[in-house]
This record gives sequence, C-alpha cells and structure tokens, in this order.
Amino acid sequence: MALDFEPDPCAKCEELLQSYLDREVSEEERAEAQRHLDACSYCRKRYRFEVELRQFVRQAVVEEMSPGLKAKLAELRTPLL
Amino acid sequence: MSETTPEAEPRKLAEEARDRVRFEEEALDLADQVYRVARRLVSTREEAEDLMQETYARAFRSWRSYQPGTNLRAWLLRILTNLNIDRGRRVQRSPDMQPLEEGDYFLYNKLEEAGDTDEERVDRRLSQDDAVAALSEVPHDFRDVIVLVDIGDFSYADAAQILDIPIGTVMSRLHRGRRILKKELAERAVGSTV
Repeated sequence: MALDFEPDPCAKCEELLQSYLDREVSEEERAEAQRHLDACSYCRKRYRFEVELRQFVRQAVVEEMSPGLKAKLAELRTPLL
Repeated sequence: MSETTPEAEPRKLAEEARDRVRFEEEALDLADQVYRVARRLVSTREEAEDLMQETYARAFRSWRSYQPGTNLRAWLLRILTNLNIDRGRRVQRSPDMQPLEEGDYFLYNKLEEAGDTDEERVDRRLSQDDAVAALSEVPHDFRDVIVLVDIGDFSYADAAQILDIPIGTVMSRLHRGRRILKKELAERAVGSTV
C-alpha cells in the first residue's frame, strides 16, 4: 500500500498567507490559498485576524505631515524667474 | 542648414522650466505619502521633518535624473532612505543573531490562550500607542521593509529597489520583522510572553 504523505494543507496555507496578503503570490498559489481558505475555518479565522491586525497597525502608526512642513517643502521649489 | 535658430534656445529653456515645474508639483503632491513612511523610519517627528526637507531639497536639485513615467514615490523614498543611512541614524543591532521561535500566528495564539474569545478584535487589547511602541522595537533593517510594504504599500520589488537590497532579502526581513512585531504586540496585549 502506498503511503500518502500529503503535506499538511494548513501548514502550506500559513506559509503562503503573508505573501498572499501582500498580493505577491503566483496566480496558481493565489487560487490554491483561496480554495483552502474557503474550505477551512481554522485557517480562515487566522486569515481574518491577519487582515484585521494589518489594518489596525497601519491605521495606528500613521502620523500626518504638519501644515508647517508642507509649507517648508513648497518653499524649497526652484523660484520662477 | 543649421537647426539652431534664434528661437530654439529660449524654447528649450522654457520647456525645461515647464518640465521642472511639473516635476516639483508631482513630488509635492506625494509629500503626504512620503512623510507617512518617513515618520516610521525614524524615531521622532523632528528627525522625520529634517529628513523630508533634505530629501525634497536634493530631489529638486537632481530632478533631471528622475525618469518620467517611473515610480516617483519610490524615487523620492530611495533618496530619503539613502540620506537616512548617510546621516548615521541607523545603528544595526545585529538583528540576525536574535533567536526567534515565534511563528506567524504567534499573536493570534497568545490572544486565544488569554481567553479572548473574540480574538479578531485586535483593537480591544491594543492601543494606538502600543502599535507605535511595538513597531519602534523592531530593529531598523526589519522595520524598514515593514514600513515600506505595510505602510507605504510598496511591492517587494519596489522595496528592494528603494533599499538597494535583493528581493529575497526583502522577503526574509519582512517575514522575520513581522514575527518580531507580533511578539512585541503580544507582550503589550497579554503581558510578558517570555
């Protein structure tokens, strides 16, 4: 009897997840990850968590430029003769 | 017959002035986005503001070396990261030597262990200050790629070009940097994880 040592699909999903979220996977990998996420609630929960975590960090660490700096940068422009 | 006519030189100068004005306007339009990245590459607002002014001064001086049609935001950030390195703001703390066993789901698992049944609600356990402090704890080389990709929305290829490192290095630093960030966040969300 042939032993089927299929790699753990959840481990594969975890491995792909960050690149998948970065949209840096091949079309084939994207489809593979998508199929697995559709079928596996364990990975889907973690996927949603990762999406939310990234959004949270992104929003939390954003600091906008001050109007004063914006004006200083504009002053650096080459004067029109 | 010579191509040089009395009108040619002023016309050339006028075209160049127009191109320069357009370049400067486009660069200034991107300043908000460039600043968001710059701010998290350095520790303080003052440093970020200095770096922005140096970057724009240099960009306006060397605008001719920008190739129209290419990614201007990446070009500006390349100048900015080079200036940041030149000014010796980045002191590497041998980050590659740190042992790191935490996996990609480290924070998720910690929140689950802490009994947070609604672990998808990250912001219930972490404040804005926690996120800023956790990110600042990530060593520079790793933080740079996280900031470029996660905050600046740059592709791996753009980040590689900006930092002048191979794309494989971008990927490995991102991988490790995000794990370090999750460990830092976990410490703030559920207390010490050691």
